[in-house]
Amino acid sequence: MTTFLTFTILGLVLGAVYAIAASGLVLTYTTSGIFNFAHGAQAMLGTFLYWQFTYGWGWPAWLSLIVVVGVAGPAMGALLHTLIMKGLRETADVTKIVVTVAILLGMVYLSQWIWHPEDARIMEMFFGAGAKIEFGGVVVRVHELICLVVAVAVAIGLRLLFTRTRVGVVMRGAVDDPDLLRLGGHDPDRIAMLSWAMGSTLAVLAGILVTPIGGGALEANQLTLLVIDAFAAAMFGRLRSIPRTFAGAMVLGMAATYVMAFFPTEWTWTGNLRVSLPMIILFVVLIVLPQDRLRVAAVRTRERYRPPTPRSAAVWGVALVAAVFLLALLMDDGSITTFALGMTFAIIALSLTLLTGYAGEINLAPLSFGAVGTIIAFHFGVTGSGLASRLTLWGVLLAVLVTAVVGGLVALPALRLRGLYLALATMAFGVFLSNMVLRDTVEHTVFGVTFSIFPNGTLIVPPLRVGPLDLRDPRTFLMTATVLFALIAVGLAALRAGGYGRRLAAMKDSPAATAMLGQNLVKLKFGVFMLSAAIAGLGGVLMASAGGSVAGDNFSIMASLALVMLTVVGGIGYISGALFGGLMAGVGFTIMVATFNDLAVVHPSMETIYKTIGQLLVVATALIGMGVGENPSGNVHKIVEGYRTLRGAKGLLAGAAAVEAVLYVLALTGVVGNWWFAILTVCLAMALPVAGRMRAEAPVRATPLELAGLDEPYTDELRERLDRELGLPVRERTAGKEASVHAAA
Amino acid sequence: MPLLETRDVTVRFGGNTAVDGVGIGVEAGRITGLIGPNGAGKTTLFNTVTGLQRPAAGRVLLDGADITRLAPARRARLGLARTFQRLELFLSLSVRDNVRVAGDVLRATGRKVDVEKETDRVLARTGLEDIADLEVSAIPTGRARVVEVARALMTEPRVLLLDEPASGQTERETEAFAGLLTGLAAEGLAICLVEHDLPLVMRLCTTIHVLDHGRLIASGTPKEIQESPEVVAAYIGSEEVTG
Repeated sequence: MTTFLTFTILGLVLGAVYAIAASGLVLTYTTSGIFNFAHGAQAMLGTFLYWQFTYGWGWPAWLSLIVVVGVAGPAMGALLHTLIMKGLRETADVTKIVVTVAILLGMVYLSQWIWHPEDARIMEMFFGAGAKIEFGGVVVRVHELICLVVAVAVAIGLRLLFTRTRVGVVMRGAVDDPDLLRLGGHDPDRIAMLSWAMGSTLAVLAGILVTPIGGGALEANQLTLLVIDAFAAAMFGRLRSIPRTFAGAMVLGMAATYVMAFFPTEWTWTGNLRVSLPMIILFVVLIVLPQDRLRVAAVRTRERYRPPTPRSAAVWGVALVAAVFLLALLMDDGSITTFALGMTFAIIALSLTLLTGYAGEINLAPLSFGAVGTIIAFHFGVTGSGLASRLTLWGVLLAVLVTAVVGGLVALPALRLRGLYLALATMAFGVFLSNMVLRDTVEHTVFGVTFSIFPNGTLIVPPLRVGPLDLRDPRTFLMTATVLFALIAVGLAALRAGGYGRRLAAMKDSPAATAMLGQNLVKLKFGVFMLSAAIAGLGGVLMASAGGSVAGDNFSIMASLALVMLTVVGGIGYISGALFGGLMAGVGFTIMVATFNDLAVVHPSMETIYKTIGQLLVVATALIGMGVGENPSGNVHKIVEGYRTLRGAKGLLAGAAAVEAVLYVLALTGVVGNWWFAILTVCLAMALPVAGRMRAEAPVRATPLELAGLDEPYTDELRERLDRELGLPVRERTAGKEASVHAAA
Repeated sequence: MPLLETRDVTVRFGGNTAVDGVGIGVEAGRITGLIGPNGAGKTTLFNTVTGLQRPAAGRVLLDGADITRLAPARRARLGLARTFQRLELFLSLSVRDNVRVAGDVLRATGRKVDVEKETDRVLARTGLEDIADLEVSAIPTGRARVVEVARALMTEPRVLLLDEPASGQTERETEAFAGLLTGLAAEGLAICLVEHDLPLVMRLCTTIHVLDHGRLIASGTPKEIQESPEVVAAYIGSEEVTG
């Protein structure tokens, strides 16, 4: 009985911390409509700050608390809102999610830069672990009591805020209709900022309270993910109701401690189950949530993509294969293997182009589907042993098929709901897989069969060999991966140009109107998710065999998030966006940091500068991710738009091609180094659109419509634009004379 | 018997009753008008009929069969099509593809259609050929409304619900549009028209239902409606009669 009581109290304490974190999440979501994936990262950053003040600089705990919880927490939230979130109105769900994911990654990178991840940091309980109170044989630590008290205080405070204060009442309605709020004399931006400040403070508070409970070790990834567990609690309240969120948090906390207390310890997976429990619960809650109502009046988002025709995609595909072939001639075997690894990531990224770019749905754990494929291929697709071992074609096909089925099962409960819930479901799956499956390194015996899902924490996946095609040669591997990428890309372009692709585009633009055409949306989403998972599975198997072996960490949720973010940064609607995102997430990152670290070693006098540049680059990619809100169509789109000015500038293009060819020959013959070749090529690519713009006639400046007729005479074109903006009927084209009269006047 | 019928349909938003026990009928081969001041519940009634809104009470019947609990897509496949008051065009598709995708859906649900040929026919019929290859974001509202009608026609509907299709159209466009509707009705289509252009409604419709504050205050021929004191009061009480 005492054990039961003790664990119940421990569960309530854990639940209290979840409740504090989750209520902050609900608060920001209800007032700004943005689900903050960075919530855990904010908690992490605040906690590190607290550690720095208290343990690093020896400040008294109360002073650090005032500075971190009272100043840094709210400031961080207010700043995030002002700099980033405010600009996210009228962007697609995908963009909102990716921006907060980018903030999450940026904060994790930043913290790892400031606080080196390999140094151990310990945070002790308030008043020490020894301070405890005993009643009825049950021992409760003072720190644990503090957690409970703070949670109760937060609950009462929020209750009062929402029911008794004007600002709180307004907050509840802020997301539903900002215009109405404005009419009522409120400033929706100020209210949203306030809620972001409060949400951030609650996150930081939860982080500081939870770290000592979980053992006291402060680690960036772990703490970030720990607060993500609060997502499940927020789900109990459908992301709206704070009381239900609190109830959910308590259920979650107690379930976690009961698993630890009452599951037999000889079950090796008990510990893993405890860690992944919140994600399992999140999944279950998703299943029982009632169906979303289809909303009329879809948001007019700013994202625009021009899909390529299958023919032009084929031309680009051939060009890519040729370019990779030529580039590979410049490289040694080691670099070629790295390049090939990047290409397999690009194949995984293509699964996002289909799912997110074409169908508008989100998968935050593409690498986890890659992991599923890899596990299947490892267990069922390898024949032979030692050096003679190889991956069979059937093994790869089976892996792809199983991944598709798993993908369908994961997506199914979330498909009736909005895109955000699918994102959460995939994320839950990713975290679950990392905790339960990829850490399952010991042997089980079920029905007399002894097996281990992820033996020794590393899977050795040999390359594929089919007939004359032997992927043990890195060059062959690279070319095969590139050809596969190109083939899938052309396939996707063909898909997008056909009836299936049009239906996907329709669903993305207006689910309500698509349903009114007779389209079963769940069926359509289900199919496209399975197809996308299959592509990720294929990419995963190739990725595993490109390196020869993979560890569970290669499929971590952080790596998945980075891949998603970089693909969106490249341009989620474009195949080239997938190429960029895959290469960057797969290898680009590592190469950049390694290069600058090498430089630091070579030039000891410049060590700090080089190392700083390396770290800055990593944080900068996250900054670009946050910038997606400003430029939601992606950077490839921007470059393509830049090259549009070059249409017809045949001479310029031919000249550039010639310069590039000379550069290549020089690099091939070793006259210039590969780095110089790369840098000059990038310069050339950047300079071309600039030259194109200079060559084009005086730029056409769009007159702001308010100034029409004042600074600029009315022209036909201007009238048409005005009519369009005002929603007026089209005028007959007789205005030629009239316009000149105006011009004269 | 009307092809589409609502019986005592009530819709509540929180404590607000947006539609209150409304029963109307829409007959095949006729154009039925549904008018009323802003906020009278016309669009809400459309949403209920098409399944985007669940009623608190009442039933929706299509060809005598109860469809109140069916999903929107199922109703669409039974022959219900609509346009939206706030345009719901597919912004990443061209005008032609906006129409064509409805045919793609038909084909995916197992119906045998020559999508290309049918798209061309519908585009010609609705007079959209000249802008077929433009992006829908680049065309004026009046014509965008016709694109919505064309898209709805592509689903081979038995009942067509039009939510303010003429707003934003020029007089000339409205004229052509009126001709299109008359023609479609003559071929047997049941059309329900929500429209603020009252002269147009009076001219096209055989029966008109009038909603005010969620209640059905009058039903009858255009002449009866024009002479109904309740209708006049409702309109003068809230806004001017257009035209």
